[in-house]
Amino acid sequence: MKRLWVGLAGAVVAFASLGPTANAQVYTIDNTAQPAVIRVAIRGLNPSGEPDPRGRIEWVQTVPFEQYCEDVLPNEWIPSWNTESLKAGAMAIKMFAWYHHLHPVTIDGFTFDVDNTVNFQTFRYMSEQPMTNRAVQAVRRFAYVRPDGEIIELNYRAGNPQDPNWQYRNAQKMAQWGSEYWAEQGRNYVQILQFYYMDRALRQYG
Amino acid sequence: MSRHVPIKQIVRISAGALAATVLSLSMLPSADLLGAQHLWGAETAQAATGTQAPVGQNTLQGVQPGVAPGGTGAPPAQPAPPRATTPTPGTAQPTQPAPPPPPTPTPGPAPETSPSVPSLDKPWPRSAKLRIKVIDGRSLKPLAGAEVVVIESEQRLRTDQDGYTPWFDAPLIRDPRYRPMVQELHGQLGVIAYKNGYRDSVHMGIRLNPGVESETTVWMYKLGPGDVRIEPVLYQEPFHHLWLIRLADRYRDRSQLGEGFQKP
Repeated sequence: MKRLWVGLAGAVVAFASLGPTANAQVYTIDNTAQPAVIRVAIRGLNPSGEPDPRGRIEWVQTVPFEQYCEDVLPNEWIPSWNTESLKAGAMAIKMFAWYHHLHPVTIDGFTFDVDNTVNFQTFRYMSEQPMTNRAVQAVRRFAYVRPDGEIIELNYRAGNPQDPNWQYRNAQKMAQWGSEYWAEQGRNYVQILQFYYMDRALRQYG
Repeated sequence: MSRHVPIKQIVRISAGALAATVLSLSMLPSADLLGAQHLWGAETAQAATGTQAPVGQNTLQGVQPGVAPGGTGAPPAQPAPPRATTPTPGTAQPTQPAPPPPPTPTPGPAPETSPSVPSLDKPWPRSAKLRIKVIDGRSLKPLAGAEVVVIESEQRLRTDQDGYTPWFDAPLIRDPRYRPMVQELHGQLGVIAYKNGYRDSVHMGIRLNPGVESETTVWMYKLGPGDVRIEPVLYQEPFHHLWLIRLADRYRDRSQLGEGFQKP
């Protein structure tokens, strides 16, 4: 009988040690610095000369992190949109990139953080615009994270014009057109982020 | 020796196994998943009714969605006036009022089928500020003294030591073919860059945004001994993908949805 109890206790200890999240590292803005650079996989072009989301990875380009954000924003948001919409976009782009920098992938022998297509975020080298650069700078020292500081992916999709895009709020994704809608309604970028991402907090770092 | 196990022993083994199961399950992260699903469900209900659902407490400094500063989480009856607050360096914004729901929320996808959106038909200015940077395509260094010609207006400009042309008023042209369907979200125009010792560089589809300054970079390539057939280099800027999505949705037929209307 004693052997049975000892065996049972051993099984419990062994099974408990298999807990998958017991030692998983949680990246927060308190224990993680903003990346200095990001690795961008450059995918091959389709016959018309456009980066192909299913194209072969040609090489991995290392880009300064802020420059990456500046070269994504005008290709994801419209630079003539309301500045608060651009700031909301700048924050989403930054947090998306930051999260993927912490979770790199390896495909076809290339290890990278993001690629240059809509698989991740549309990136065109040296395509920055003055208005979008200002938006990136405006949110430079701020992060939009879980209340405990955990860095999470802020995802977004196009959405529909002239609409608050409630269905995107339900899916916890920001609607790009929705951000412009709310900005035109007079909301600032924090309010726009709050609308689409629930239970998140604006935190300062650096 | 009897092969039967006494009842007491069976009870003890069962109790031990039950305790082990409870102990093991408590170490799995499923509790968090359940909590997340609960919040998700609250969100769905909230969107359907257009009301703010209570969410979990934020324990650290940060924004608590749906709760006004010092308030109890009850949403205001009417949209609050927008706060012109922007974060200032040195101070995080611990609380911000969540955007109140619009008076009549319309949940569910509402694919756009009308050919034009009224507020997108804002007055379209005739020109916008633009400057062009010319760089060496291999060294990425700025090229001074390059001549840039705007094809649509035949303006001629020259780059300075930093490779920039001066700011100038460029024609803001949207392709009239698309206007009755889905008008473009930005203007487009083309330039040609010339410089001695370099291939001509034709840069088409430059995006020009109304009401704001725009920039573009033209890449030029130096002629070398291996260049026997010398022709211009074409660089075509792509359409903005937000416009492509609208265009594809405009003509999508419900009998053959393809990838379907834009959705989360």
